Amino acid sequence: MILLLQYTLIFASVLMLVALGGCFAERSGVINIGLEGIMVIGALGGALVMKFLPVSVGVLPMVAITVVVSALFGCIFSLFLAVAAINFKADQTITGTAMNMLATAGATVAVKAMNTAASNGNDVSSDIAYIHAKDLFIVRLGQFEFNWFMLVAAICLVISYVALYKMKFGLRLRSCGEHPQASASVGIHVQKMRYAGVLISGLLGGLGGIVYITAGVSVWKFENGVAGFGFLALAVMIFGGWHPLRIALAALLFGFLRALGNVYAGFDFLMMLNIPSVVYNMLPYVLSLVVLAFTSKNSRAPKAAGIPYDKGTR
Amino acid sequence: MHETQYAIEMVNITKKFPGIIANDNVTLQLKQGEIHALLGENGAGKSTLMSILFGMYQPEEGVIKKNGEIVKIHDPNDANNLGIGMVHQHFKLVECFSVLDNIILGVEDSQLGILQREKARQKVLELSQRYGLSVDPDALIEDISVGMQQRTEILKMLYRDNEILIFDEPTAVLTPAEIKELLQIMRNLSAEGKSILFITHKLNEIMEVADRCSVLRKGKYIGTVDVATTTKAELSRMMVGRDVEFAVQKDEAKPEQVVLEVRDLSVASKLSKKNAVNNVSFQVRAGEIVCIAGIDGNGQTELVYGISGLEPVQSGSVLLCGKDITHAPIRKRSLLGMSHIPEDRHKHGLVLDYTLEDNMVLQRYFEPEFVDKLGFLRRKNIRTYTERLIEQYDVRSGQGPVTLSRSMSGGNQQKAIVAREIDKDPQLLIAVQPTRGLDVGAIEYIHKQIVAQRDAGKAVLLVSLELDEVMTLADRILVMYEGEIVGQLNPKTATVTELGLYMAGAKKEDV
Amino acid sequence: MRKSNTSVLRSDGLQTLISSLLCILGGLIVGYVVLLIIEPKGALDAIVALMKSFFRFAGRSRMKYLGQNLARTVPLILCSLSVLFAYKVGMFNIGVAGQYVAGACGCLYAALAWKLPWLPCLLIGMAAAALLGVIAGVLKTKCNVNVVISGIMLNWIALYLTNLILGMVKSPMSPYTMNLMGTNPKAKLPSLGLEKLFSSESSVTIAIPLAIVIAVVIYIVLNKTSFGYELKATGHNYHAAKYAGMKEDRNIILTMMISGALAGLGAGLLFLTGIEDWETTISSVPAMGFNGIAVAFLGGLSPIGSILSAFFVQYINFGGGNVDLQVYCSQISSLISSLIIYLCAFVAFFKYIIQLYLRKRKEKQEAQLLKGGEEK
Repeated sequence: MILLLQYTLIFASVLMLVALGGCFAERSGVINIGLEGIMVIGALGGALVMKFLPVSVGVLPMVAITVVVSALFGCIFSLFLAVAAINFKADQTITGTAMNMLATAGATVAVKAMNTAASNGNDVSSDIAYIHAKDLFIVRLGQFEFNWFMLVAAICLVISYVALYKMKFGLRLRSCGEHPQASASVGIHVQKMRYAGVLISGLLGGLGGIVYITAGVSVWKFENGVAGFGFLALAVMIFGGWHPLRIALAALLFGFLRALGNVYAGFDFLMMLNIPSVVYNMLPYVLSLVVLAFTSKNSRAPKAAGIPYDKGTR
Repeated sequence: MHETQYAIEMVNITKKFPGIIANDNVTLQLKQGEIHALLGENGAGKSTLMSILFGMYQPEEGVIKKNGEIVKIHDPNDANNLGIGMVHQHFKLVECFSVLDNIILGVEDSQLGILQREKARQKVLELSQRYGLSVDPDALIEDISVGMQQRTEILKMLYRDNEILIFDEPTAVLTPAEIKELLQIMRNLSAEGKSILFITHKLNEIMEVADRCSVLRKGKYIGTVDVATTTKAELSRMMVGRDVEFAVQKDEAKPEQVVLEVRDLSVASKLSKKNAVNNVSFQVRAGEIVCIAGIDGNGQTELVYGISGLEPVQSGSVLLCGKDITHAPIRKRSLLGMSHIPEDRHKHGLVLDYTLEDNMVLQRYFEPEFVDKLGFLRRKNIRTYTERLIEQYDVRSGQGPVTLSRSMSGGNQQKAIVAREIDKDPQLLIAVQPTRGLDVGAIEYIHKQIVAQRDAGKAVLLVSLELDEVMTLADRILVMYEGEIVGQLNPKTATVTELGLYMAGAKKEDV
Repeated sequence: MRKSNTSVLRSDGLQTLISSLLCILGGLIVGYVVLLIIEPKGALDAIVALMKSFFRFAGRSRMKYLGQNLARTVPLILCSLSVLFAYKVGMFNIGVAGQYVAGACGCLYAALAWKLPWLPCLLIGMAAAALLGVIAGVLKTKCNVNVVISGIMLNWIALYLTNLILGMVKSPMSPYTMNLMGTNPKAKLPSLGLEKLFSSESSVTIAIPLAIVIAVVIYIVLNKTSFGYELKATGHNYHAAKYAGMKEDRNIILTMMISGALAGLGAGLLFLTGIEDWETTISSVPAMGFNGIAVAFLGGLSPIGSILSAFFVQYINFGGGNVDLQVYCSQISSLISSLIIYLCAFVAFFKYIIQLYLRKRKEKQEAQLLKGGEEK
């Protein structure tokens, strides 16, 4: 039971971070299909820190540096989307798709090159191990393993909510995703706001990436990417109606389903139901689709999301 | 030099776009505290001039002066800092934001980035009291009336302490009562010392409210006159460049058999739970032009959608040449002899990314003349057909049949649609605002075509918002108000004033 | 008139070609730079080896590998046709990836569980994929769900369902499905002797000519028929299509169905050659569909362009295996192809630059012409 709670919380943290990222991008008017790729790159950044930073630095520096570096990696990678979508008005769907492929391929090439060079060609795997560093992130409360990342996610949630709904910045950002011409007419720099939205999505996506790969294991094989968690986060964002608090709830629900898929073997009544784990994995997507089917007539999606902003149109 | 008496001046402005000179040496001078009308047809260069004033474009030549000093405006922020504000024709409001959030957007008061909404709310309430602009600061834009949206836009300018207020075609979307209210608000504002620039092409409103009027025509500055010493005829001559013959030559109508019959038709509204069209009944006979008059948004659009099949009807029935087509597919209506010049030529009328020839056969591509038995298009026939229509209806385009429709001028796009719909040889021609946004030449041409259709024994249902068009073309006028037909008038005997009363819902009769 | 039409088309096609070549060049250059960063010595050899792909081999082997590459090009062509067909009708079918998966599921289950011959297997695969397309189409027309979003959700649903269903016909020893040739040789696509041209490469089947025929058919349907005229009108302007009495909703659902069927056929034409078995434990949607998106855009959204660009992408991917694996890794080719896709997003921009250049040149020429006239 505790294991279930633990997995639920950590998966929910991942989903919430990444979905909040997607939310910032869409609220500013850019659809970010590339979250999956951003996660991979963020994970790579974080994993490198955890591998190379000596464990002796202590908990706080380790957590802080890992968080900062993975966020930074995600941020930089999200520039691929920002430049294409905002400056060049490129198709956001194809850009995002390309980013997902680019991230996995790029991370694999980088890690393999690193491993190959370090081992004189004996190790050509795409694995990064961070066993010792990972322990620093965990505080054992009885059987429950509290992960510092859960706290980071909770903080990000609060900040996101305040930023979007209580701050000047959020008001302006949201206006750019709804009616950029109106924003421009009151002197808001739409492209700057959209850059902000995309970069924040990169930041949160990158953070989500490192949380994901440290959730259950201590070695990550970068060839595998992040196995669709970026897309699942997209579903969380939609299920949460582009609103931080509802996103948090959706993340808990989807995180719970994911966790069930991982640990259902530990529950007798679930074992008796004999539902294969893929069903739990599939359920979030089915749920999202059902919700979409019922809500899309009056969609709460930002109206201008996905539409390049052109100064000429009025 | 008396330059200092002007609140804002645009002197000798020239702005070129590829292929056209949008503003050719235009000068506009706005006095402190006056209401100054800017008059011109569509495409005369009014919007370009205003975009320059707001820093959206930079002019090739000319300067902008405030209180006699040259100023540079690079973006809307600069304009705002100079105290210039504008109510755009299409409101620049974020629909899912509250009135308050829309007003403060861009000039938010904040501490450490946190919005200070309470302070802003006080200021908004104060302003709305002072100028008689009633709004609910917490209502969402999507829930409030057009009139209140416009008041929100005005409050946006006042909240920014703007001194120079620009109204871009503000009355187009309002009911007569709201127009009266707006004109009064404008007078109040100017009495408080605000300088107002009022962009319009409605002469009556200029005569009623403006002090002076500047006229643009085809990008050129024609002149500025004192409204007190001028006449409507004078103004329209300046605007169009010649004496305008409002009357189209046409003979007496000879109505024959009923072609279109609408019985108790109701159509749902997309915007509210009420029906947009409520129990409407009328007939259109062969050889007559029946015109639906009314202020925009009183159900005319939905009525046509119901008749043409673009929207399902709630109840009632539609008969074309005696056949019930209430629930018939659009294609069937077309084949039974319905032609439709749609209200929005870009949304419905044309596939803009198709060539002219592909658009010309949009209603007929499936006929054996244009497609063979295997489903292959007969390209040669399509070409010949298009060339004939181009010739016959004088549709001008860069590369003839293969011109991309998007690249054609609005007038020629509309001519192409008119050609396509008329050449189908329909029993019934529905024309919705067929001359919207066109220049005078194209308007005259299209009017003549519509009358010619009537004379050829076709039934014509015309929907128009322009009173002049209604009075000149119609053989019978039906006035729509809040989804109902409230009056039937004979254009020969009715006066414009009377028509206006019906349109405003002040007068009603059982039809 | 006619002449000006074709010359416009030709120059547009040329612009697309130039843009695509620019994307490829950009991808290769960045790939080369990455190789240089990893290990400057040998980077040149590596990129040359990569670009030589199967031409590295000689004689019979070369033909054999050519055949193998062609066989693997087939699903790419079909996935890209699926993408471009939907795109012409105004929809971004990112769901192609899931439709491909559904196609694999349908045909492999029919082949391995029901032991059906190849044709019914192929049809069942197409039907399964088409069903997925129809779901997206219905959600779009009836519930206004964005096709991209529903496509992404359906991709994962399809993946998990497929793993579940094909798990029933999995070989007991490995996570892979049972071997096609060993279980049901009837289900293998016929080759009609084609394999003799390719040194008896067994993966060479009628799939290769079939894919080309289908590309041509799609081209004809889109450009020459009234059906294509209607579909494209719906894609460009949904409201105008409705106004013109086309059955706009039916067209959208039909398009998604055809688009899905194409992707499913692509999967069938790969898995029924026996070249590959399905891995029932994979945790991410196979890249084939996404590669199809890339190929469609790289090919300038033209069916004929798809054939060429699909072959190119496969060629590069195969070439990735040629690099010295002691120093570099084969994913360098995935990196290059994903860069190419990324650059494809800029095709509109490249075209704009080319057009700008052409206009400038024309203006210059005209100015010179004018000058010349004055001098005389």
